[in-house]
Amino acid sequence: MTAQPHWPWPRTLGARLLLILAAGMLLAHGLSFALLFYERAMATRSMMLSNMEDDVPLSVALLEHLTPGERIQWLPRLERRTYRYLLRPAQPGTALASDRARQVVALVDDALAHRYALRPRAVSAVPERYEVELTLSDGQPLTIEVTPSLLPIAQWLPWVLAAQVVVLLACVWLAVRLATRPLVRLAEAADRLDVAGQDAAIAEQGPREVATAARALNALQARVAAHVGERMQILAAISHDLQTPITRLRLRIESLEETPAHARLLDDVTQLGHLVREGIDYARSANVALGTPVQLDLPAFLDSVVGDYQDIGKPVERVPGDRATLQTHPPVLRRIVQNLIDNALAYAGSAEVGLTVDAQGRATIEVLDRGPGIPEASMAAVLQPFHRLEPSRGRASGGTGLGLAIAEQLSRTLGGRLRLSNRAGGGLCAGVELGAAAGDEGGKRA
Amino acid sequence: MTPHTDHILVVDDDADIRQLLGDYLRRNGLRVTQAADGRDMRAVLETSDVDLIVLDVMMPGEDGLSLCRNLRAGKHRAIPVVMLTARDEETDRIVGLEMGADDYVVKPFSSRELLARITAVLRRARMLPPNLQVSEAARLIRFGQWRLDTSARHLLDEAGTAYPLSGGEFRLLRVFIDHPQRVLSRDQLLNLTRGRDAELFDRSIDLLVSRLRQRLGDDAREQTFIKTVRSEGYVFSQPVVLLGEDA
Repeated sequence: MTAQPHWPWPRTLGARLLLILAAGMLLAHGLSFALLFYERAMATRSMMLSNMEDDVPLSVALLEHLTPGERIQWLPRLERRTYRYLLRPAQPGTALASDRARQVVALVDDALAHRYALRPRAVSAVPERYEVELTLSDGQPLTIEVTPSLLPIAQWLPWVLAAQVVVLLACVWLAVRLATRPLVRLAEAADRLDVAGQDAAIAEQGPREVATAARALNALQARVAAHVGERMQILAAISHDLQTPITRLRLRIESLEETPAHARLLDDVTQLGHLVREGIDYARSANVALGTPVQLDLPAFLDSVVGDYQDIGKPVERVPGDRATLQTHPPVLRRIVQNLIDNALAYAGSAEVGLTVDAQGRATIEVLDRGPGIPEASMAAVLQPFHRLEPSRGRASGGTGLGLAIAEQLSRTLGGRLRLSNRAGGGLCAGVELGAAAGDEGGKRA
Repeated sequence: MTPHTDHILVVDDDADIRQLLGDYLRRNGLRVTQAADGRDMRAVLETSDVDLIVLDVMMPGEDGLSLCRNLRAGKHRAIPVVMLTARDEETDRIVGLEMGADDYVVKPFSSRELLARITAVLRRARMLPPNLQVSEAARLIRFGQWRLDTSARHLLDEAGTAYPLSGGEFRLLRVFIDHPQRVLSRDQLLNLTRGRDAELFDRSIDLLVSRLRQRLGDDAREQTFIKTVRSEGYVFSQPVVLLGEDA
């Protein structure tokens, strides 16, 4: 097996696009500036050469006609940007190093019509400086000192360059964001999408590619929803039609004389009846009719649910918690909380019900018990229909393994979710996370 | 004078269930007539006095819900009805104003459970003079700053926020609303408030009253709604206003 070479390659599409575009643009920018500088160097040199061609013979002829005293006064006036005249022998130096220098010397020689013996010397390599010495007709040495250089760059040019790079990077960032944002939103919408097809579909908008993907996802959801719906209807129909025969069976058994077998038969029928009821409930939970939501006072709601259990002598307690009101569907929420309490009663024998509101204002209803809890590995499995941790125990308490599945399904119908976790010190915490609540000034209950 | 034997009319399209229920109820000292559908039911009602109707929801043709609704609109409106329902019917609608049934059992039920319901409903019907069943007529009832939604079983404050009531609290409040300005003894309250789980329900009425007071915002010193009448019981002291469907 060969190990993949590890590049520091970013993982998000946005970062990758940003990297590629930014690198490409910086490279292109660099190239065009290099070209510009090269062009400019060429232009400067050819300008210098043609200047020298005209200028050097004129200056030398002028100096020839002046007296040595007058020559000194004229020298400053003959000085040019890249070369000047000095009335002294050339400094010691080496032979000319660059082609360009040799070219310049040849040009000067041509311009002076080869009338003078030129003695060129390279004085310094960086910055390049060389001197060409000749002897005027009266014997005085004349040196042309050449210091080739580009035209100076304006002070503001680097700043403009930097500004350009910044603008470019900003544009690239904007483009990448434009390209990836709809994708992120699509992914978020797809994540929220309810497979059973209750919620509104994903909005089919944004760039055409993203809209197409959204349409495809919606179509997929519709197919899955139809499929799930059909299965649920079959389950509901079977369960529903079983009710009459089971009722008959039960009444018949009850009319028999009481024997040991009689009690066991009744147990079986009770079990059967539970299963059928839960089956219908589960089938309906995926497609429950919601009606109009009401603004619900959650503490009062939990008090009422707990009160119902206490009235029939069940050990269910309300623990003090936060206050919140929430726009929701009380009958559905009641069913969820009842299922969680029933589950706690079946496995732990008692339950506590509380309410917490987090910093973002999300309300969570918690049903707590001190039962055996759930092994971490089974946390997801217990939300599956007909799953039971300990078949014998669940059966003894009349459970069917659908209670948590129904609660989970209904929680999603309300736009919330069901979270199970084991408590420190043993037991299970079943939390129903609901949407943002209108907190009551965050006041704690006494 | 021979003691009155309650006459129960069992309406179910399933002959076996009809027969089994009839046998069981007869063994428990009730007089039972059976009917297979709405036509049979009306025929029986025309010819004899019926004390309570056991009505199956799921019937071909005229179903139990429309039968019950028609019954409530006709001259036999005072006869209590216990519905036999499947789980997927909305039990709140059945006992609420919409259908007007007095109670229900969910299939598959035990015959003992049904008998308990029948007995409880009959007892309640006897205790309530018909002209005092004020709250039957309205979905929303106003008293003080509260409105009671009798179908959803919650209180609404002025802002429209819902405060649900437990079954016991709701039944107790209904009893008070049905008898405003009348002193009710603890025994009366207990009997009238006992509901679906009569056998299990043995909570002191005082505790229930204090819970309801807390819910209504009453405290022990300032009793706006439910006043204690020393050594007699309690009285609901607020005037009650019936509101329409959508008030």
